[in-house]
Amino acid sequence: MFGTIRDLITHRRLLRDFVVRDHKARYVGSSMGFFWSVIFPLLNLAVYFIVFRLIMEVRFGDKMSPEASAMWMLAGITVWTAFAETISRSTNSLVENGNLIQKVVFPSEILPAFLTVSSLINMLIGIPLVLLGVGFFILKGDTAGFVEVETASLAAFDGQIIDPGEDRTLRWGISMICLPLLMLAQGVFTLGLGYFLSTLNLFLRDTYHLVGVLVTFWMFGTPIFYPVQLVEQARGGQFAFILDVNPMHWLIESYREVLLFGGWPPLHFIGPFLIVAVITFGVGATFFRSQKARFPDLL
Amino acid sequence: MSAPNKMTNDQGSSTSAVVAKGVGKAYEIYDKPIHRLYDLILPGGPRCRHFWAVRNVYLDVPHGSTVGIVGENGAGKSTLLKLLTGVTQPTTGTIETNGRVASLLELGAGFHPEFSGRDNIFLNCSILGMSQEEIKERFESIVTFSELGDFIDRPVKTYSSGMYVRLGFSVASSVDPDILLIDEALSVGDEHFKAKCLNWLNEFRERGKTTIFVSHDLGAVKSMCQNVVMMDRGEVLEQGDAEGVSDAYLKRIKERGNERLSMLNRGETEYPRWGTGEIEVTAMGMFDDEDNSSHVFQTGRPFAVRLEYRAIKDTQQPVFGIGIYRSDGTYVNGSNHHWRNEPIALEQVVAGEEGTVEMSFESMPLLAGQYYLTTFLYDHSKASPTAIDHREHAITFEVVDGAKHQHGLLYLPTVWRMERRSDSGEVTRTESGS
Repeated sequence: MFGTIRDLITHRRLLRDFVVRDHKARYVGSSMGFFWSVIFPLLNLAVYFIVFRLIMEVRFGDKMSPEASAMWMLAGITVWTAFAETISRSTNSLVENGNLIQKVVFPSEILPAFLTVSSLINMLIGIPLVLLGVGFFILKGDTAGFVEVETASLAAFDGQIIDPGEDRTLRWGISMICLPLLMLAQGVFTLGLGYFLSTLNLFLRDTYHLVGVLVTFWMFGTPIFYPVQLVEQARGGQFAFILDVNPMHWLIESYREVLLFGGWPPLHFIGPFLIVAVITFGVGATFFRSQKARFPDLL
Repeated sequence: MSAPNKMTNDQGSSTSAVVAKGVGKAYEIYDKPIHRLYDLILPGGPRCRHFWAVRNVYLDVPHGSTVGIVGENGAGKSTLLKLLTGVTQPTTGTIETNGRVASLLELGAGFHPEFSGRDNIFLNCSILGMSQEEIKERFESIVTFSELGDFIDRPVKTYSSGMYVRLGFSVASSVDPDILLIDEALSVGDEHFKAKCLNWLNEFRERGKTTIFVSHDLGAVKSMCQNVVMMDRGEVLEQGDAEGVSDAYLKRIKERGNERLSMLNRGETEYPRWGTGEIEVTAMGMFDDEDNSSHVFQTGRPFAVRLEYRAIKDTQQPVFGIGIYRSDGTYVNGSNHHWRNEPIALEQVVAGEEGTVEMSFESMPLLAGQYYLTTFLYDHSKASPTAIDHREHAITFEVVDGAKHQHGLLYLPTVWRMERRSDSGEVTRTESGS
């Protein structure tokens, strides 16, 4: 695990080159270029919002306004997209770059790593969008009294997850300074999974296809488009355990706290997530490293 | 940059560029991919067979030498090269290299089709382990060498395959290694660029760097390398000076060719055969300079074709002949013992008579390739000769050419003369008879 970190630091320049190339490659030849990073999450949001909120009328608390729930979704989508994209791309990264691994002495550690970093940077473009949205509602709320209504409904909806006594107003807060920490934790977790899955994929190419399906399962098992308490209440709480075993839920809730409500990440979420992230990275990186010498033969 | 260079030079006198000790490489062959996973997590393995692509190789390549590795397809040459590059790890033994190793295996590996040649040069150099300063310093010379001109700013996907390898070679050659590994499959586009590459290789060798060159083209290896390693089925059969090993390699090819061709020649009744059968050709064969039956011959060496016959009935004026064809059907030569300045005329052959007919050559004139023989036995007593025993495509044989001095179908004993007239009126004449 420490060996992997050391190698990544040694090859940081190559890592940077790959990240730069990946960002150029994302939009090379497209006329909208960089703006896709902004448009893409918004389009996603539009689809999910229409389906879940307007058609299926998923209830976000009793009176949570559509606009506020849209911000709530957007925060989740932004984080999830970065995670899911990295996982599915990382899984195939060794196979995709087999040419390099088989023909050049190449530090393959940087393959899942550059994908992780690249997605995080892409996410960094989406985050201001959430913050701008929140800012917009702060302004609007001031004039229309929107915030007061929301405060009440959000407090009700949050129930046991977030202390009802807390201020649930959408707002910007000083806690934004811990965004880098959240992103680092996210990166460590994602990279750990990436190392594990990319190695496994060399042994069993089905992994790639399986991961595609599992990521979708995982997405629907994470409260991104629907409120947390729907899972808690569904069938008398039968599915509540999903929230207790889903690190991505902990991460996304931490992000929401910071991005939407200006609060600090709840310790009971970010604490376990950090532990899981470090363990995942340890396991993934160790597995990757133990098999690395065989990569050219496995391809 | 200067410090490590100095170190390499110091080592140059004392240690070798490449030392391989007992190197072996086994590939795991799994019948089902899932078994590989079982082996990883479950006890009770291994569930695979091992294929030893390279076995027990000892090499000691001194600094500044050029070493050729020859062997037939599947002999393990490319695997050995991969091991020396460090791309794959040996299963047994150790490999030690002193100096920066680069291989010309990876021309254009890692190019991104959407990006311009310029962008790809930067990333590719980075992948090959060059520092930012080195890349900047060499960028211009890479572009110049590739002769891409304005195309350097166009996406690589718009390149022709020739342009692609040109850029690949230019990048790979800019690494400035101490040890260069080259695979025979190095095809670098048009003749002009090929010449440029060879030129570069020669300069590289003249600068006292080490080159390891893999090929099954013996001529190319002999012309470039002082030392040759011969591999077969993963093992080093012979290593030493180019002349000696080349001969051994030729001999080896002959043996292998004989095995293969005798399989081909086994079915005696499978070729077309017709005639009255009054005289039967009972045996036929081709013989080399040591009078051993063979199917593989060397250009410039003696060889003979011999037929055994037995007469079944009395026959008037039978004539034996032999035709030589190249494998594509080109008629190379035909002759018989009758149509000659000093003909051998057989007025009559009596039933029960046996004999031998031989056609021999001082020196095999054919150049490398596959050929076949057709034997004729015709009755010339009538107005138009009728077939007694005609065997089409009777023997397939192969010619190998150790010298490779000439190209084409036939070796022609040419004489070259040169007359050089200098400004001062001095004339020098040189002549080469062979």
